[in-house]
Amino acid sequence: MNELVRMVDVTKVYQGGITGALNGVSLSVDSGEFTAIMGPSGSGKSTMLNLIAGLDRPTSGAVTVGGTDLARLGETGLARFRRDHVGFVFQFFYLLPNLTALENVLIPSQLKGTSATVRARDLMHTLGIADIADRFPARLSGGQQQRVAIARALINRPTLLLADEPTGALDTHSGEQVMDLLGQLNRDGQTILLVTHDAKLATRYAARVLSVVDGEIVDDARLETAERAAAEIIRVRGEEASR
Amino acid sequence: MSLKYGVLGLLTGEPLHGYEVKNRFEAMLGGTWEVNIGQIYTTLQRLERDGLVRPAGPRGDRGKQTYELSAEGRQALEHWLAEPDSGPQTLHEDIYVKLLLATRIANGDLQPLLARQKRAYLQRLRDLNRLEERARRDGRIDLARLVRGALLHTEADLKWIDELSSGRTTETEAPR
Repeated sequence: MNELVRMVDVTKVYQGGITGALNGVSLSVDSGEFTAIMGPSGSGKSTMLNLIAGLDRPTSGAVTVGGTDLARLGETGLARFRRDHVGFVFQFFYLLPNLTALENVLIPSQLKGTSATVRARDLMHTLGIADIADRFPARLSGGQQQRVAIARALINRPTLLLADEPTGALDTHSGEQVMDLLGQLNRDGQTILLVTHDAKLATRYAARVLSVVDGEIVDDARLETAERAAAEIIRVRGEEASR
Repeated sequence: MSLKYGVLGLLTGEPLHGYEVKNRFEAMLGGTWEVNIGQIYTTLQRLERDGLVRPAGPRGDRGKQTYELSAEGRQALEHWLAEPDSGPQTLHEDIYVKLLLATRIANGDLQPLLARQKRAYLQRLRDLNRLEERARRDGRIDLARLVRGALLHTEADLKWIDELSSGRTTETEAPR
């Protein structure tokens, strides 16, 4: 596996006591991994994602993605890096209300100066939203809007897909559909970093779970995926008849 | 006493002999409870002694005896099904005793214990997720419900470990 993301002794200090500071975080993520970042709110997990995405800069330490040291990029270079290498999915979908679903999906490719209508339609087909391509966001359900946002995140074939509580605004069923899609993308080779507070979702899809507390990674668990017999996972036991 | 009532429950459908009871019981539990045939025979004998089941006809080939539910057995089963589980909560995992001992020894530093336990719970959560998927795929909605219960329990265990790790309940001095 190739290392895709590297953070070395990264700190992030916010003025005015804003939560989410990081305190010496080091991390290596290989391409193809599905990693979940868990922790209480304000622990710094979203900050980690924003630094890796190049949406924000660390106070000290280095963030390298795909061999590129993000500190060496100026604002234009950083914008280009985000456009070409990073797909970002947020809790709230941030679709432009005056554009159709298809037009929203196409935004990142248009910023790149390419035409990707065929790929957009393919992606929307894969994500099960082909039939709503010409609708405006206001006429879509939350689950549909999030799938449009995922298609938009994937349109430029990002090396890294970052998802910050992508199911946070969805009902259970739509949330599971969205997570199933992320799981499928990962099986097809997509590297994914997921911020979530939902341990069930995290362990279901991610084979690696980072626990972040007070700006530090306190645990880095790699989980096994082997199929186990039911009796190795659950023992139902009542008392046996003794009399 | 669930084996006893499990056997009674299985006999509500049709008369069964010992091996059928064992196989159906284990299939119902989806492999989460294995019983040996001796336990089944002992249970059937006790149920017969107490008048809750009775032999259904003469012994068949290779001496197999089938049993059926008696009216008393049906009544006992219905009574048991209607009763809520109200006994004390059973905490049978070692972690509870380890926690108490670790508070007394190791200078009250629980972090290594909690970190290892957290990983075990994360792994269990992952395994339970797969078991739930498998149960749904096999059309075993009843089993998926059981696994769902286990999942929620494990989520609670994780929350408990996180609460202990964050120090909210560890700041008091270790007891002597």
